Amino acid sequence: MKQIVKLKVNGVEDEKAVQTHHTLLEVLRAEYKLFGAREGCGIGMCGACTVLLDGQPMSSCILLAALAEGKEITTIEGLSDPGKLHPIQQAFIDHNAFQCSYCTPGFILSTKSLLAENPDPTADQVRSYLAGNLCRCGSYYKIEEAVLDAAVRVRNKKDNL
Amino acid sequence: MSLGESLPMLDAEERVTGRINYTLNIEAPAMLVGKILRSPLPHARIVRIDITRAQKLSGVSAVLSRDDFGPHTAYSGRYGRIFRDQTVVTLDKVRFVGDPVAAVAACNEDTALEALSLIDIDYEELPAVFDEGKALEPAAPLVHDPRPQQQPIFSRMIEDLPGGTNLCSHFKLRRGDIELGFRQADFVFEDTFRSPAAQHVPLEPHVTVAQYARQKLTLWTSTQMPHAIRAQMAELLNLPLARVRVIVETLGGGFGSKGSLRLEPITAFLAVKAERPVKIILSREEEFVTVCKHPATMRIKTGVMKDGTLVARQVSAYFNTGAYSDIGPVVARNGGSAMSGPYRIPHVHIDSRAVWTNTVPAGALRGFGVPQAVWAYESQMDMIAERLGFDPLEFRRRNLLRDDDVFATGEELTDIHFQDLLDHAAASIDWSLEDARWLTRDPTAAKNKTLRRGKGVAMVIKATITPSTSAAAVKLNEDGSLNVLTSSVECGQGAKTVLAQIAADAMQVPVSRVSVSDPDTELTPYDQQTSSSRTTYSMGGAIREAVSDLKRQLLDCAAEHLEASVSDLIVEDAKVMVHGAPKRSLAYAEITRLSNQANLFGRGAFTTRGGLDLQTGQGIGSVHWHQGAIGCEVEVDIETGKIKILRLTPCVFAGRVVNLRLCELQLEGCAIFGLGQALFEEMTYGEHGQLLNPNLSDYNVPSFADVPLKINADALEHAGSEELHGIGETLLPPVMAAIGNAVYNAVGVRLQELPLTPEKVLRELHKQDPADSHSGTMKG
Repeated sequence: MKQIVKLKVNGVEDEKAVQTHHTLLEVLRAEYKLFGAREGCGIGMCGACTVLLDGQPMSSCILLAALAEGKEITTIEGLSDPGKLHPIQQAFIDHNAFQCSYCTPGFILSTKSLLAENPDPTADQVRSYLAGNLCRCGSYYKIEEAVLDAAVRVRNKKDNL
Repeated sequence: MSLGESLPMLDAEERVTGRINYTLNIEAPAMLVGKILRSPLPHARIVRIDITRAQKLSGVSAVLSRDDFGPHTAYSGRYGRIFRDQTVVTLDKVRFVGDPVAAVAACNEDTALEALSLIDIDYEELPAVFDEGKALEPAAPLVHDPRPQQQPIFSRMIEDLPGGTNLCSHFKLRRGDIELGFRQADFVFEDTFRSPAAQHVPLEPHVTVAQYARQKLTLWTSTQMPHAIRAQMAELLNLPLARVRVIVETLGGGFGSKGSLRLEPITAFLAVKAERPVKIILSREEEFVTVCKHPATMRIKTGVMKDGTLVARQVSAYFNTGAYSDIGPVVARNGGSAMSGPYRIPHVHIDSRAVWTNTVPAGALRGFGVPQAVWAYESQMDMIAERLGFDPLEFRRRNLLRDDDVFATGEELTDIHFQDLLDHAAASIDWSLEDARWLTRDPTAAKNKTLRRGKGVAMVIKATITPSTSAAAVKLNEDGSLNVLTSSVECGQGAKTVLAQIAADAMQVPVSRVSVSDPDTELTPYDQQTSSSRTTYSMGGAIREAVSDLKRQLLDCAAEHLEASVSDLIVEDAKVMVHGAPKRSLAYAEITRLSNQANLFGRGAFTTRGGLDLQTGQGIGSVHWHQGAIGCEVEVDIETGKIKILRLTPCVFAGRVVNLRLCELQLEGCAIFGLGQALFEEMTYGEHGQLLNPNLSDYNVPSFADVPLKINADALEHAGSEELHGIGETLLPPVMAAIGNAVYNAVGVRLQELPLTPEKVLRELHKQDPADSHSGTMKG
């Protein structure tokens, strides 16, 4: 059964007819062709499908699309304009904080939410906040470096505004 | 110029913006969704299968079943890399819970799933066997009967055996005189170790898109072996190689799981039948029943002199290869041939077997049999050191292989750096004599603490697949930029970046002027596989050859136009110039123009030779040997049995490092991958052969919460060792034993079966000294 829902994805509001049992991840991939969120486990354990819902990280694989109505949905594609990377993305590049990078959009979006809550996290706080995002290649140390560096960059950027 | 620089990955921007293309994203016009029906039973004959109701469902384009294969059709449906023991869908009987029985292609996932529920099957259940030991008992039910046909190409690597047994393969290594060795030894110790099944869990599952039109098959597939897939699919579909095209995008992790045929046969036959493109994406649960690490039991008997000199080792190893052999016999051979470890042992006798059972097929997993081997021999090294009262590091030092020593395979070794590696590993954890539990001067010191610390080390020697072949082509464009055509697969290891660095260095152009292709068997030259830590060395070698070929052409052409002899020309900075007269020069772009060919092609191949004798295991096991050592410090909570890893320090001999940052990532990745297998990763089966934990809630992989605060990875380069060494998997195998040895030194618990769970540690603590532990809830 389909239902018309109003979804606001990366700042653009749009009406979509979605199956009531389809997840937000399915709709983002099939209807919007946004491929940055990816299924890794299908049960909300790995974080590869993370998107931000009103700024909060959510596993889009276990969230029904219809329940995202009225929320600001941000995917990795909405984080920056082409050719102009977000400081978190730049920090991930500079520290080479990934290998296969399947998990990277999830880590970056979780980091965005972390830094919004806590602009100057300790290494321990980074680890505990990101414990729900899995990197099977084991790039955790470079990710930690990148996040701590990104925190500095984001703070500096705000100071300069 | 670019060799040795820690460049970020060249496609880093696509990776952090989520725009990099995985096979998961591939779509084709009019594409259908494929779904697989799997066996609920571990061993059963299919009495009847009826697909008519599924076929009639609106939206269903094709239903694939055993009716599509066999003598009345053009297709046998049988395949397998070493034995033709696998079929596209079940033809006669299912052999494990999860075995693909039938498949559907439909307009969407919901319809495909509904169609699967409409397939009627009657099974006749057969007795099943799950354990590698029980499978070899005379009365055990046979997983394959008659014995499947062996692929002739493997006849020199794997001995064919008589039928009537579940014994799939039997590797033998014979060096010296084992009986004499044990007679000479002052002590002989025999111990048994076990590793369970574990999962690769690449975050991107297996995905295949197949398209079949005008007798040509095109596959976009998540594989580490595009050319091997092409060859096997051509055979299955009776097509020439030229009419099978395999395209591989970057992988979201592989770790060995994405070799061999996986989804390609079933997706391709659905596409043939539906006459439309079909895509199959495995769910995580299906991933668990597709391929796994071999469970293995290793019995190891070691003879040693009073002074600690090793004299003899006998090994009986059993690798449980599951229902289908895949590459299992080669895993058993590789793990078996490594069992003498990095030690000088004159008398070695190894029997390493692959065994069929009614469990998930086992295949290649990062380390390729060596993790199971090192878990056994490096645990035993510490056990022997204790029995003889030695410092475990000193005991190793006394026996380490050095340059010019002869390995168990009979080959003379060069470029050997175990002493140095062990010293690095020891220093990285500040090892001192008292760190061995049995040498601690004050054994009561930690008695009253509930958190107890201990240190351990483990070492590894590992082969890279030999013989092997890689080919590459380089294309110099009209503007002097360079395309590298290669079939090496990018799976996160940074292959494309490292190969670009090698090409740029050889060609004397900046990396920004180089582009490395993705594999496409229609366009890119042959490569055996992206595995076995071989890409940097082997494909790097092929690219260097191709650049040499190109440079010869450039020099010939430049010589003519510069009116100089080739021997007077030098290549530097994207130019060919006359030695001593830098003004007489031609840029690459000018030469391509003057050549009247618009662009120039260089071709190169890199082949290694070797192989082991079938009866003795003697020969060349590896073109060069991968060497590593790892140090570890743990903290064990004796109230909960929980092990916390404080330090983990992988040290590898790297030859010449191409990109240090990517190298560190691989070493850290190995350590963390091993940590999971050491502490908690285990596929557990119920009594009817069904997997109990096929999801990431019940099967855990390491997260930020599990890893030590820091991993100090060390890549050793040695003056005079210019050779490139692969490092992708070398440091995974010793992690489990290093942790096990550290746990023993912390609390005196020696577990011989992985993983080292808190429950097992606690149980042993209770057995050891019930008064020592504060918790009274469990009795040994």
